[in-house]
Amino acid sequence: MADKSSKNPKNAASRRTAHGLRSWIRRVGALFALYAKMDFAWLLRDTKTALIVIAAESISQIAGITGVFLIAWRFDGIGNMDRYEVLLLLGYATLLQGVYNFFFNGGNTGHLSRRIGRGQLEHMMIQPVPLGVQLVTDGFLPVSGNGGLIAGIVVTAVAVRHIGLAVTPAWLLLFAGQLLAGLAVLVGMLYLGSVAAFYQPVAAEEITSDIYNTAVRLSAFPLSDLSRGGQTLLLTAIPAGLLAWFPTLVLLGRPPLGLTAAFPFLFASVLALLTGVLMKKGWLHYAREGSARYSDVGHRR
Amino acid sequence: MRLAPYLSTARMAMREKTNAGLTALLPRMLAIGARVVPLMVVWRVVLHRGADVGMTLSQMLVYTFAGALLSDLLEVQTALSSWNYDGRLVSLYQRPLPVLAHVVAQTAGGWAPLLLFFSLPLLLLAPLAGLDTRPATLWFFPSLLLGVSLGFAIDFLFSCLTIRLRGMAWMVYSIRMALVSLLSGAVIPFRVMPFGLDRILDLQPLGSLAGAPLSLLVGTGDPARVLLLQLGWNLLLWPLAMLLFARSRERMTSYGG
Repeated sequence: MADKSSKNPKNAASRRTAHGLRSWIRRVGALFALYAKMDFAWLLRDTKTALIVIAAESISQIAGITGVFLIAWRFDGIGNMDRYEVLLLLGYATLLQGVYNFFFNGGNTGHLSRRIGRGQLEHMMIQPVPLGVQLVTDGFLPVSGNGGLIAGIVVTAVAVRHIGLAVTPAWLLLFAGQLLAGLAVLVGMLYLGSVAAFYQPVAAEEITSDIYNTAVRLSAFPLSDLSRGGQTLLLTAIPAGLLAWFPTLVLLGRPPLGLTAAFPFLFASVLALLTGVLMKKGWLHYAREGSARYSDVGHRR
Repeated sequence: MRLAPYLSTARMAMREKTNAGLTALLPRMLAIGARVVPLMVVWRVVLHRGADVGMTLSQMLVYTFAGALLSDLLEVQTALSSWNYDGRLVSLYQRPLPVLAHVVAQTAGGWAPLLLFFSLPLLLLAPLAGLDTRPATLWFFPSLLLGVSLGFAIDFLFSCLTIRLRGMAWMVYSIRMALVSLLSGAVIPFRVMPFGLDRILDLQPLGSLAGAPLSLLVGTGDPARVLLLQLGWNLLLWPLAMLLFARSRERMTSYGG
């Protein structure tokens, strides 16, 4: 029986895929553990600085959302969201940024345009680890990058308590799913923009900063008062609405524009596909043209 | 003092920003739009509900619109911290210009394309769309200059902090951006803040960056008080920035590109 199935090319291919996936997961897990160990070692080696960094990130995240919350407080809510619903939105936006910082802030894996624009892809290509695995694991900062995560959890918990939401396992699953989809959309936006750095390394080196800042700033706004066209724009062409506003309304049980909770997943899949195609095209251009960003002494031009 | 080297530096910085043509400015334009549109919608909704914030809807809209278009000037951000981090700062010491003056020229040159091709045309055309962007008082212009000058001093102070924290440019940048966007009045006018916070926020140094000139632009600020405060903070923070930067030179560490 075993012999028969091994001769079947379809079964052999699926076994190879399963084996490849298992080994990919093992490798990613091992690298996550390694990065966690290094990050933790930094905490032990330089505890004072590490704690300053974590506290500073929490403070900056809270300061970043304070303005909108103060408006909501002064005017007893914004649009169809009351004060604590706005706080939930802000907590969720902070949490998303925290998760992003947790997984993608180290080594500019999220800000890929910097790596491309600076010619650092070559550094990655000589590593004995596949590029995809490097991009997934290089940015992992579970100790020094958790300030935003902590701030996001605290603000979200306060908002949930004041609103009186029933936190069931199903709700938590919905929460985690929306967060994952939001993260995929955010990283997808950054990677899509990073393609420009293949063609214009200097001008587009910081394009992800503009995209990130725009998306994050927009994500912390209740968009309910925008026109239907404006909302549609912010859920599709500039999908910042998918980062926090849409999921917050989903979690409150009233998704906007008659869409379902599955919409962010669908959108993230299409975005990933589009980004993959354009990234490959840019990659081929880069392979032909290369990059000349460094002087002979190793400093950036 | 010869101006030519500074103008050449500024011109190079301007060209660097546009080496992909003006399309390279699109992300910044998008960022400005993303900042303006939701806030303007919020102000419209809030003021149509009858809330009293001590400003008319027109003043609120002009404040937000001009604040976003002039954001480079109102929230000055140089490359000094990141140059220290990536090693480029070292090369400035090999050039025949004072380091900080070089940074000022480089930064101002970098502002030019967006200002000339986007912000100023939009500010001039705004009255056609019903937004009266004409300054309520001509004191707005000296106030803007004092705000820019103070912005450089504050940027240099944050750079000293980066050096002190051994090159943690990203962390200092994050804190700084969060604090500046909240405390400078660039995004939300102080008058909108609850709990009487406006009276405190007006007085702190970051409030002199954006809140001060924008309050003169829309006519809600008292020129004498605003300009005196800005002048005072400039006189206090510039010497401090120069002193701390001079002391920081021996502490500079860099990771290279």
